[in-house]
Amino acid sequence: MEHSSLAGRIFRGVALTLILIFFMFPIVWIFLMSFQTNEQILRIPPRILFEPTLANYTALISGQLHTAAGNLEISFMRNLFNSVVLSSAAVMLALVLGVPAAYAFARFKFRLGETIAFTLLSFRFAPPLLVLLPLSLYYQELGLNDTYFGIVWVYQLIALPLILWIVRGYFEDISPDIEHAYRLAGHSWREAFTRIAVPLAGPGIAAAGLLSFIFCWNNFVFALILASADKQPVTVGALAFVTASGIQYGQIAAAIVLSVTPTLLLALYAQRYLVEGLSLGAVKG
Amino acid sequence: MARLDINSVSKSFGAARPADALSLTVEPGEIVAVFGPSGSGKTVLLRMIAGMFEPDDGDIQVGGRSIVGAAPERRGIGMAFQNFALFPHMSARDNIASGLRAKAAGDVATRVAAISKLLKIEHVLGHTPRELSNGQKQRTALARALIGNPEVLLLDDPLRNVDAKLRYEMRLELPSLLRRGTAAVLYVTQDYREAMAIADRIAVLIGGRLVQVATPDEIYAQPASVAVARLFGDPTINLAEVVPFAEHGALCARVSGAMVGLGSADVDALERECWLGVRPEDLVVSSSPGEGAIPAKILAITPMHEKAVLLLRLADGTEWLAALPPEAPRGAADDAVFIGFAADAAMLFDRATGQKIGLSHRRQAA
Amino acid sequence: MDMLELKGIDKVYRSRGKEPVQAVRALDMVVEKGEIVALLGSSGCGKTSTLRMIAGFEDVSAGSIALRGRPIHELPPARRKVAMAFEGYSLYPPLTVRENIAFALKSAQLSRAEVDRRVNEIARLIEIDDILDRYPRAISGGQQQRVSLARALVRDADLYLLDEPMGQLEPQLRAVLRGRIKSLLAERGMTAIFVTHDQTEASALADRIAVMEGGVLQQFASEKELKSRPANLFVASFIGEPPMNLLDADVSRSDGGLRLSAGSGMSFDIADNGLEAALDKARQVRIGIRPQKIAVGTGTVRVKVVSNQWLGDQSHVAGDCDGRMLIAVTQGRVAARPGDIVPFALEPRHFHIFATDGSCIRHAEAS
Repeated sequence: MEHSSLAGRIFRGVALTLILIFFMFPIVWIFLMSFQTNEQILRIPPRILFEPTLANYTALISGQLHTAAGNLEISFMRNLFNSVVLSSAAVMLALVLGVPAAYAFARFKFRLGETIAFTLLSFRFAPPLLVLLPLSLYYQELGLNDTYFGIVWVYQLIALPLILWIVRGYFEDISPDIEHAYRLAGHSWREAFTRIAVPLAGPGIAAAGLLSFIFCWNNFVFALILASADKQPVTVGALAFVTASGIQYGQIAAAIVLSVTPTLLLALYAQRYLVEGLSLGAVKG
Repeated sequence: MARLDINSVSKSFGAARPADALSLTVEPGEIVAVFGPSGSGKTVLLRMIAGMFEPDDGDIQVGGRSIVGAAPERRGIGMAFQNFALFPHMSARDNIASGLRAKAAGDVATRVAAISKLLKIEHVLGHTPRELSNGQKQRTALARALIGNPEVLLLDDPLRNVDAKLRYEMRLELPSLLRRGTAAVLYVTQDYREAMAIADRIAVLIGGRLVQVATPDEIYAQPASVAVARLFGDPTINLAEVVPFAEHGALCARVSGAMVGLGSADVDALERECWLGVRPEDLVVSSSPGEGAIPAKILAITPMHEKAVLLLRLADGTEWLAALPPEAPRGAADDAVFIGFAADAAMLFDRATGQKIGLSHRRQAA
Repeated sequence: MDMLELKGIDKVYRSRGKEPVQAVRALDMVVEKGEIVALLGSSGCGKTSTLRMIAGFEDVSAGSIALRGRPIHELPPARRKVAMAFEGYSLYPPLTVRENIAFALKSAQLSRAEVDRRVNEIARLIEIDDILDRYPRAISGGQQQRVSLARALVRDADLYLLDEPMGQLEPQLRAVLRGRIKSLLAERGMTAIFVTHDQTEASALADRIAVMEGGVLQQFASEKELKSRPANLFVASFIGEPPMNLLDADVSRSDGGLRLSAGSGMSFDIADNGLEAALDKARQVRIGIRPQKIAVGTGTVRVKVVSNQWLGDQSHVAGDCDGRMLIAVTQGRVAARPGDIVPFALEPRHFHIFATDGSCIRHAEAS
């Protein structure tokens, strides 16, 4: 770092600015769009300066979409609520199932262990469309179609492998001696798991949970096929903005801003836990 | 008061056999060091006792009752680890107390205070492991192992990761600390000086087999085999290939052309292919030839622990080391000298088996 | 002849958002041709930074380095004519041990036969001749360290730099290899600087030892000199195993000389010889006496034995005298058990006396 000349520093600054603009522009633009009417958005050339309007947000929140072709009922808030319910329930379930499983895969060598772990991961490789058709048939048979539980269950395909593999790595990084020490002090393996392993893998569990929450939140096809209107998350609900009288860009932008906000807040909140070191200096090194 | 009995315990991992019919008894209040080169199976033995894995064969008993198959938390064992294994999310105080709470033992605070006073870590009880120095971590780990007054105490090379000065201090302190209770103590180490300083007896483990179990004195003076002799002593014992013979009723051998006396003729060693072993500190180096003196050239002088260590080349090309006390004249590199040793300093080992050959007059351990 | 000259070397590490760290401060050092020098200190004392500056892996923040009279501190490492063995070995994994060692000779334009001869010679010396055709991953850590050492020593260079060269060696080989390497270096007149935190290694190999602490060179002298005439309290207590015993003492006048009172049962009469003039206001000093200089079984200081450990060739006896711990090392055995009261003899002629600021007022008499 000592060697950097003035020219080098300027170059670095310019490069960073360009990269920042490149990545941030769409987000900023969408944010701006959400305060414009469709007419303002479609103006050529586009303008940076405009008269902001909250119409898009009121339309979303009130559920009344005014288009050139007349009023349209939308259930955006309902969709948002569904997204929250479905994603959190899916992550909860995946954590309950995945964390102990990850621990087992990390600590115990058993027959077919690696095979099972890999099979679970391989669910992530298959395109969802491949399983959708048989899945929807089964779901109809089982009566799981269009139920929260059914969607949460299918979301496990997304969340479980992620949690399993990330958390397993964190468990493997904890020295087994730490748990042995706790057991020798007179605690059962269950206590060693809940009081030592889980707290120490905490940052990893949080990271995996957050990541799978985002993946579930962003899922589109599963919900599109398996859920009807009142169980649909925002990703599917956004389809409603493609109306007979054209695409409602302003409302789409507002919907994106509203739907991104929860995950963004969650990520910002969890960030400081995520960066916290894992071993905290318990073991030499 | 419980004795630790290890009865012909074996363990294999694939082709490796880190424990091969190990038998060892540790009395209550006794400290036995398990010493051997790295990879000899020391840690495996400890972990079988602690219950981290079970032996394939044999039995381990504490106070006459078998603990094989029992959960680790029910074995009454305290353990300190080489890497400390402190709980990083707990304070030093909670780390130490964790050894007690599960047993619902009396006044936790008083006992933590007492043990931490003994180990001189009262001032850091509120710190997390991250904030402790390596020495303090090790003391905290020891306190955690000691506080429950376990019947068996296992120490896995606890001083490995602390610096030389602290290691020395702990070496002085540990024996009395460990003897405070009546635990049977197994102490794993890779440092022969540490083993000799701390233990009542040393169990020498080589390649998964116990090759000698004896007091430090006995092992140093009468190692059971060449391998044991080479593990104890720094610098390492000098070895020469000899075939001892009798001359005028005395046992003699030819080392690099010179004839050296090995004391009274011992039938056992006669005409056998042997290793002659002489410890570097038993060598006498002088500038004038004498009876039984071996001519040699000083290659280099490397001072060590207040002694002068001489690397010597004998006439036949073998190299020997001599460790001379500080006050002895040391000569200089390239000097021609003559080396000798007292007959009772000689050790003989069978060259085929490596086993010690008993010499009746051998210096006895005190 | 001066081989290497370091003049006013500073090394400052700056990283964003942190206070700059001064790793080396105003270091002056002259190494003569054929000399073996150890840089000794605990971690963070600046010894490795110094070595890396000489090798050219770090820039000097200030000062100059000259090798054989030519300034080298601006040259890239490859043009400094130095050979280095790294602490992490840095062997080339796809090459065999033989190729690793021979690799260093590639640029020297030697015939194949000559390369082979040199590789075999160094391999025999360092006991790796039986693993020459193995790959680095197939040999133990101790063997890897020996290969790394061989790779540095086989080269023709003006200066050999060795970073913790023997820390991982098998204990049974260490003493012999130290002797062989020392004799090799001496025989060929090679100049070497090595970094170590192990004073046993430093005193075994080096002609002179540079003791560093906090980036400052504390003393640069032979092992004997460091022990008999330590420049300050730091050097005195750092050098020597086990460390020197230290006692705080008050100084008072007695008939014909001075009396050092270090608490109950420990007061010693010594001749003044200018000592009083060097005292500070508090009239306090710190007495240092090496464990090897305390005789056990005679003398006036009565101690309660805390531990008595026989290590095969020497005894270490720790005794408590009114709350102060004294350690004595004797060559023979001592018949004492913990709890026994035993006399220790502390003779004032063995005392090193330090002022409270750590500077040395008087050295022990030469023995």
